Parts: sequence; C-alpha cells; structure tokens
Amino acid sequence: MIDERLEEQAALHVLGALTGAEAREFKQKLYADPELQAYVARLSIATDAIAGSVPAAEPSPQLRARILAQVAPPQKTVSLPERKFRPVFWLPWALAAGFGALCILLNVQDAQLRKTVGDQARQIADLNQLAQSLQSATNRLQQTVLALQETNRLVNLRIAMLTSLLADAPKAVAVSLWDNEKQTGVFVAQNLKPLPADRDYQLWVLDNGTTPVSAGVFPVNPDGSVRVDFKAGQRIQVAGKFAVTEEPKGGRPTPTLKNLVLAGG
Amino acid sequence: MNERAGQDRDLELLRQIAGGDRAAFAEFYERHATLMFSVASKILNDPGEAEDVLQEVFLQIWEQAARFDPQLGKASSWAAILVRNRAIDRIRASQRRTRLAEEAGVEQVVAIEVSETANGVIHGHEQAKLIQTAIGELPAEQRRAIELAYISGLTQDEISKKLNEPLGTIKARIRRGLLKLRDQLEGVL
Repeated sequence: MIDERLEEQAALHVLGALTGAEAREFKQKLYADPELQAYVARLSIATDAIAGSVPAAEPSPQLRARILAQVAPPQKTVSLPERKFRPVFWLPWALAAGFGALCILLNVQDAQLRKTVGDQARQIADLNQLAQSLQSATNRLQQTVLALQETNRLVNLRIAMLTSLLADAPKAVAVSLWDNEKQTGVFVAQNLKPLPADRDYQLWVLDNGTTPVSAGVFPVNPDGSVRVDFKAGQRIQVAGKFAVTEEPKGGRPTPTLKNLVLAGG
Repeated sequence: MNERAGQDRDLELLRQIAGGDRAAFAEFYERHATLMFSVASKILNDPGEAEDVLQEVFLQIWEQAARFDPQLGKASSWAAILVRNRAIDRIRASQRRTRLAEEAGVEQVVAIEVSETANGVIHGHEQAKLIQTAIGELPAEQRRAIELAYISGLTQDEISKKLNEPLGTIKARIRRGLLKLRDQLEGVL
C-alpha cells in the first residue's frame, strides 16, 4: 500500500530532490517493495517529459569519437618480424604516430581523472550528509539522555509541604524540596513569626519518618519569609518528613518537641 | 520503433554493453546522446561543460551498465537522471546555485517551439506537442516547483525557502504535478 507520504517521497525521488538520509531511506524501501518500484517506474514518465522539454542541443561529432576511443579494448601485442636494417625515412612518421598515441593516452587519463574527482566529490558530499545526520542523531540522543536524567532526578526529589502547628502563627507555611541523590535540599517558608535574639528556628529531616536529623538553623527575614539551601547532619536514607522547631540560639542536637513550629511530609 | 520496442532494445544494448560490446555502446550513444546533452546544456548553460558531463556519464554507463535495473524505470530515464545528477553536482561543486538555469525556469521551456525541444527531436512533432501541452496545462506553481527540483537541482527545503511556501505545500505540488503529467502522458511516453 502506497500512502500519500510515500507518493510524495517517490515524486521527490524521481526529481532528485530527496537529500541525505531521506534519499537513503527511500532507496531502501524501494529495493524492498516491488509495488513501489512499479509506482516509481510509472512516475518516471513525468520526469521524461520534463527532461525532454528542454531546448534540443546536439553534442559535437568529436565527442562521440572521444568517448568511443576511451572505451576501446586494449590493443593486442603483435609480434614483429625480425629486424633488418632499413633507412630511417619512417622515423618522423613513427614519432608523429607516437605523439598521437601519447595525446590519446593523456586524453584518456584526463577523462579518468575528471571522473575520479567527480566520484570522490560525490562520495565526500555523501559522507558530509552522513556526518550531519549522525550529528543530528547524536544531538537528539543527548537531549533524550538529558530528559531521562531530569526525569530520574525528579524521581529522587522529595517535595513536602509543612503547615503551622502554632495557634499564634496559623498562616506559617513552608515547602521543603529534598534531592536524596545529592543529599541537598531547599527550604522555603512564609509568615514565620520573628524570634527573640537568643532563639533560632531549626530544620529537621525525619529519616525514614522517625529519626530526626538536624539540617541546621536558619535566619528569618523581617517579613517572616526565608529561603535556604540545606544539608542534613548525616546521610538520609529516606526523607520521610520535615519539621521546624524553635530552639536556643545555634540549635540543639535533638529537637525540642514541645516547640514544634512546622511539620509535614 | 514504438516505445515498448525501444525500451526492449535499450535493455538489450545495456546487457551487451555490460559484456564489453563497443558497437552496442555506440548505438546506445546514438539513441540517447541528444536527450542527455540537451539536459546537461540546459542545466549548465555551457556546451563545453555539458560535453564533459556527457563524456563522464557515458563512461559511467560503459562501466556500470550491469547495474541498470529495468524494474525502476526505462533506460532513457536512467541515462537522463545520471546526466542530470552529474550536471547538478558540477553546479554544486562550483557554488553556482544562483545561476542561469534557475532563473531561466519554466517560462523558457514552454515558450520555445515544440520542434525545438529535445522531445521534438526524439519523438517527432506530434508526440512532442502532446507532451508540451500536458506540461503547459500544469498549474504554474506545480510546474515551477517541478522545474526547480529537476532542472535547477534544488532540494525540497530549498524550493520551500525560494518560493516562501511551507514544505508540505511544496511536496504536495510536486506530487500532484507529476501525477497529472503521468496520467496524461501514459501511453505517449
């Protein structure tokens, strides 16, 4: 079954307008599909019409001779009769014949060189196209890898919402983002009440949801907001929950549970 | 010789050429040199270069006749596309993409007398007239896209940019144009 897209490719193919990877891909399909071969063969009626609609031009008669001379079979070696002394009146003719043969030889070599250069130029163009398509494929793969890495990173990311446990600061709220692979996090809070100078807010990560691990103390802006990057005091296996307590200046190794400010997970 | 017999003869000649038959090669030259040289001349607009290309392509045919696959089209189409591709390669190699043939375009092709086209020389006046009429009846935008691809050697992307039309539109124009030509000329060519 030849769909419209394949018909378009066939049309571009017979006009020589497919490039690089597209052309190679189409040729593979063509060689494998007799129906497509028949379709392309019929379509070439149209390109024949276009080709023949150009102004007629005849090549010079010399061109035919030149071309035929280049496909001449190699001359057979003829054994010569035993040499006898002869006058050298034939020498100029022999030189002329030799010169003529040399000219033909050079002409053949010139055409062969031109052909070789043309073939190589085409090969280089094909290789360049291949290199470009490989580069594109590499770029796409890199983008895919980056996307997968990003997806994987998001899988490792723990996002927790912390809500207020204080009656006098009910609007206090926070979000904690924890990257378990990197063992780092970001803590963002709003509407925290200001603390006396000898007190600090302290952030805790509850490993496996139970063991509190200090993530350090943090200052609060005058408007009650805060945004800090943090690390836990020891390696976290699973960041089950997060909590914020009010502690003496500099924090404590274990949380004062009666001073819980925010918690969530 | 009718079209079918001509194709059979070409196929036989190519088989003989593959076997190193110079007489067959000479006959193949006689049968197709006019079309091939006309195409090369139109693309390159330089008789000397067109002869160089013709020489290269005929040597290629001499060496690669066995590669011709009749399932993919006629020998004359194959020869024409070989010469077309080689001429376009020359233009690309010399960075002459903006040149003559591109500007010469469709208008010139349809403006010349039917008998002055390669089709006129090869197929005779009546048949060439049918072909030229079919080409002339194509919508101008389809004809232009086809000409830019075949004669000027532009890729589909280049045609899209040159005509400032979406790629999909160009593909559709080329497809429709070729199908219309094919349907009108099947049995003629």
